[in-house]
Amino acid sequence: MCPENSYIGDGTGSVEPVTAEQRRELDRLFSVTYEELRRLASTVRRGDPSATLSPTALVNEAWLKMASSPNVSAESHLHFKRIAARAMRQLLVEAARRRHANKRGGEQGIVFVTLQDFIDQSKPYEDQVLALDTALEDLARLNPRQAAIVESRFFGGLDVAETALMLNVSEATILRDWRVAKAWLARELRRGA
Amino acid sequence: MDSERLEQIQNLFHETADLPEAERLPYLQSVCANDTELLDEVLSLLAEDAGPSSLLDQPMGHVADQLLADPAQPRQFGPYRVTSLLGEGGMGVVYLAERADLGSLVAIKILRDAWLSPARRERFSTEQRTLAQLNHPSIARLYDADTLPDGTPWFAMEYVEGLPLTAFCRQHACSIERRLHLFRAVCEAVQYAHGHAVIHRDLKPSNILVKEDGSVRLLDFGIAKHQEALDSEADLTQTGLRLMTPAYAAPEQIRGERASIHNDVYALGVILYELLAGRLPFDFSNRTPTEAQTIVVQQEPERPSAAARKAALLSASDSSWADLDVLCLTAMHKDVQRRYGSVEALIRDVDHYLANQPLDARPDSLRYRFGKFISRHRSAVVASSLAAVLVVGLVIFFTVRLAKARNLAEAEAARTQRIQQFMTRLFEGGDEAAGPKDDLRVVALLDRGLQEARGLDAEPAVQADLYQTLGGIYQKLDNLVQAESLLKLALERRQALFGSNHPRVAESLVALGLLRVDQARFDDAEKLVRDGLEMSRRTLPPGDPALALAASALGRVLSERGSYDKAIEILEEAVRLRSEGEITPELASSTYELANAHFYAGHFPQSGELNQKVLAMHRQLYGARHPHVAEDLINLGAIQFEQGHYPEAEVLYRQALEINQSWYGKDHHTTASNLTMLGRALVREERYDEAVDLLQQSMAIQERVYGQDHPRVASALNELGSVALKRKHLDEAEALFQRMVNTYRRANGDRHYLVAIGLSNLASVYMERKENQRAEQVYRDVVQRFTTALSPGHLNTGIARVKLGRSLVRQRKYAEAETEILAGYGILTKQTSPSVTWLQAARQDLITLYDAEGNSEKAALYRAEYAKAAPPKK
Repeated sequence: MCPENSYIGDGTGSVEPVTAEQRRELDRLFSVTYEELRRLASTVRRGDPSATLSPTALVNEAWLKMASSPNVSAESHLHFKRIAARAMRQLLVEAARRRHANKRGGEQGIVFVTLQDFIDQSKPYEDQVLALDTALEDLARLNPRQAAIVESRFFGGLDVAETALMLNVSEATILRDWRVAKAWLARELRRGA
Repeated sequence: MDSERLEQIQNLFHETADLPEAERLPYLQSVCANDTELLDEVLSLLAEDAGPSSLLDQPMGHVADQLLADPAQPRQFGPYRVTSLLGEGGMGVVYLAERADLGSLVAIKILRDAWLSPARRERFSTEQRTLAQLNHPSIARLYDADTLPDGTPWFAMEYVEGLPLTAFCRQHACSIERRLHLFRAVCEAVQYAHGHAVIHRDLKPSNILVKEDGSVRLLDFGIAKHQEALDSEADLTQTGLRLMTPAYAAPEQIRGERASIHNDVYALGVILYELLAGRLPFDFSNRTPTEAQTIVVQQEPERPSAAARKAALLSASDSSWADLDVLCLTAMHKDVQRRYGSVEALIRDVDHYLANQPLDARPDSLRYRFGKFISRHRSAVVASSLAAVLVVGLVIFFTVRLAKARNLAEAEAARTQRIQQFMTRLFEGGDEAAGPKDDLRVVALLDRGLQEARGLDAEPAVQADLYQTLGGIYQKLDNLVQAESLLKLALERRQALFGSNHPRVAESLVALGLLRVDQARFDDAEKLVRDGLEMSRRTLPPGDPALALAASALGRVLSERGSYDKAIEILEEAVRLRSEGEITPELASSTYELANAHFYAGHFPQSGELNQKVLAMHRQLYGARHPHVAEDLINLGAIQFEQGHYPEAEVLYRQALEINQSWYGKDHHTTASNLTMLGRALVREERYDEAVDLLQQSMAIQERVYGQDHPRVASALNELGSVALKRKHLDEAEALFQRMVNTYRRANGDRHYLVAIGLSNLASVYMERKENQRAEQVYRDVVQRFTTALSPGHLNTGIARVKLGRSLVRQRKYAEAETEILAGYGILTKQTSPSVTWLQAARQDLITLYDAEGNSEKAALYRAEYAKAAPPKK
């Protein structure tokens, strides 16, 4: 019916193990992205309280720095963005896990108020991010391409054209997959509630 | 749920998502028929699609911002209570804290979100280690370090209440002399750090505070680097990743070159400029970062004197200003070679200025002096400029330390004990934590050990022992320059103490001889070891372990230089001497050398048998994952390889590589030669891409460790040449083989069999070019060389004769060809498996020549042999 569904994944499927080299690359990227996020966060908090950080801007910033470094120039921009998306996912899942654990330990309750108009006010971000991670892993088993699309778009801030180029499918396919995968994941998140 | 079911659900979703609400349900009900679960699934997706937004509709920035928001920080770090926040950066937070019992103030630095990344944890603990190591009145001191229950690491350091250097000078309207004295104090602190192989890399006035009493403190070693650590690629990247303040960054830093002490010299120059001129050398206020970087690399700054006159802040005579210009602009010269070569040199000229003496940094004298430096340290500079800096730095540091009066007796006792502990840990083996896994740590310990050894002038005998031991360790760590200077020192001290006929002197001679083997200086090596062995025989009773040691060493030297028969004889003696009693590392070592000698002499069965024995001994002595075990696996692999059993060899090499990489890390000569051998096996298996990748990695490591003219580099050249040949990159192959032949000639002498192997491979290139006559000439020479260097019946002689035969077949000289091929064929069938490519090639050539001569009976015979040995078709 849809021949592109035969897609198996070329290292973009999120269930595939990360290689040692990728792990080192991620780690370097973590450090940069994270510290840039931190620096911006403290600036933003001092200045405009409603401003937020765009992952796209962060990733682009990190790329510019990596690209000007003499050893990394051969890496393709898209590959970098792909890795960055995965880095962001791991970073947030790790952060959510720690907050979750801290809360349950009850040692230092973390209280924050969400200013966002949010579907599920009762559920803090950390629980949702953890649930999304699990649901994405399930989806990756059933349809690796859709999982890769969500990871790249949500965590990496890739736009439709970039995602299409990266996965080598049409933009229409990306839009179609994104819509159904979003519905699917939203339902999984609700079920886990 | 499986993929098909998901696809079914999703397809129905797409078909109905854009239908009018009213048409959806009837359609779905008709399609789903009795599958109510399918219906529910599709309906729930449609409901989500139309419904309110979910997490996935949130901007990721919000999510990240919330999840990474700071949890409340504890107020208590060990005995310190936080009183206020001092600062906040990308890396962490700095608090002011009070020690409850003493009331003293400290600065507490924490690493925020330590769990996030090993690289950040590493950098944080590097800063902490660096501070712990630096103990200088002008460097903020480390007091305490620990980890909070949630895993957040922190350390407490001296809290410095003061003003940034430039602000202090402004506020106190300091004179030029006062400014230079403060600057000199900063330089001394930096020089001290360099003496400890630490480069600050982020020197700027805000990191230099001046206290009310006028004393300076150097802060923030957050991105400081150990010079030994600078070789790793990751480091280059990190440097590139860092957002630099271009104002104090040297041009070579901006170009992304490796960090060095010269960066710090440049930054000090800029700071001096700022102190004299009242402003920075370049104005970046309206520039983009890229423009700023271009200016730093290309534009010359205005003379500080001219800038100062405009500001009318400071006054001095014209001749003084001229000197200050030279001083400042030499320190921040764009060309590293024309900059002050060290902070020490800069300090000297500051002193010259203050004492009203002529500066060293006049343009002509500087070049002269730099040239002198290079010629004084040529070997060190060539081998490793870092090592040279390290040695010079340590000597300077040691001199400084000697000048301080100390309680010698107490210090010495502590020293000796510490060195003994250190040595014991390093040598006993089995203690993985002290093994070479973390070279940096070993080198740091070693350098400390060396400093201690240098302090033992009062006890020259002990000092010589320590030099001897340390030299041996540096040799193991591949720092051959350092090893040579220490082993020579040990020898000289012992000769002075004990005369020219003493077991200790003999020991030194043997050790230096073995170093010469590593340096591929075999004549020297043999002479030194023979002298050592003779001296041991004269001065020691028979049965003394030192005799077996020296014999074993001589065996190794003879083996390395290709005199295998002599080597086997002396090694058998060493094994005999060591065979009494239990299995010892020494017995294993001599047996190992003996197995090697047999291997190189072409006695594979004997070598295999001995190697199996050594493997068993090593496993018993060291456990299954020790480098010695890896070496034995490699030797057994080599035996398989030489007999044409490449997949078997590959398996053994990979087992060895796994052990070596985890033990030594990825950048060590052992790993490199292991890579070469694995590459060789892959070449023979025709897996070229994998092979070339491994071989190039290997050659890069070898050239760094040994220099370009070493046999090990030649071995990598050979394999790369072979691959180039197989891929028909003939010019490249010729150049690689020619370089290989030259390298072996220089290292081993013209008559060595490895030279013949190189020539034989060169001839293969000629064959490929159809230059058959030229190939024939070379092959004849090669057969001759193998016959004398090895033996007429050696495998290599056989292969060479088969190859010679082929060059003759190509020229239709069938009679001569038949003689050569049959001779080679006879040698090969005795020693290799029937399917070896050489034998198959020989059969093909025989078929060709018998066909051409019309001898159909013999042609049929070899056709049958060929078919029998051909691998089954896939």
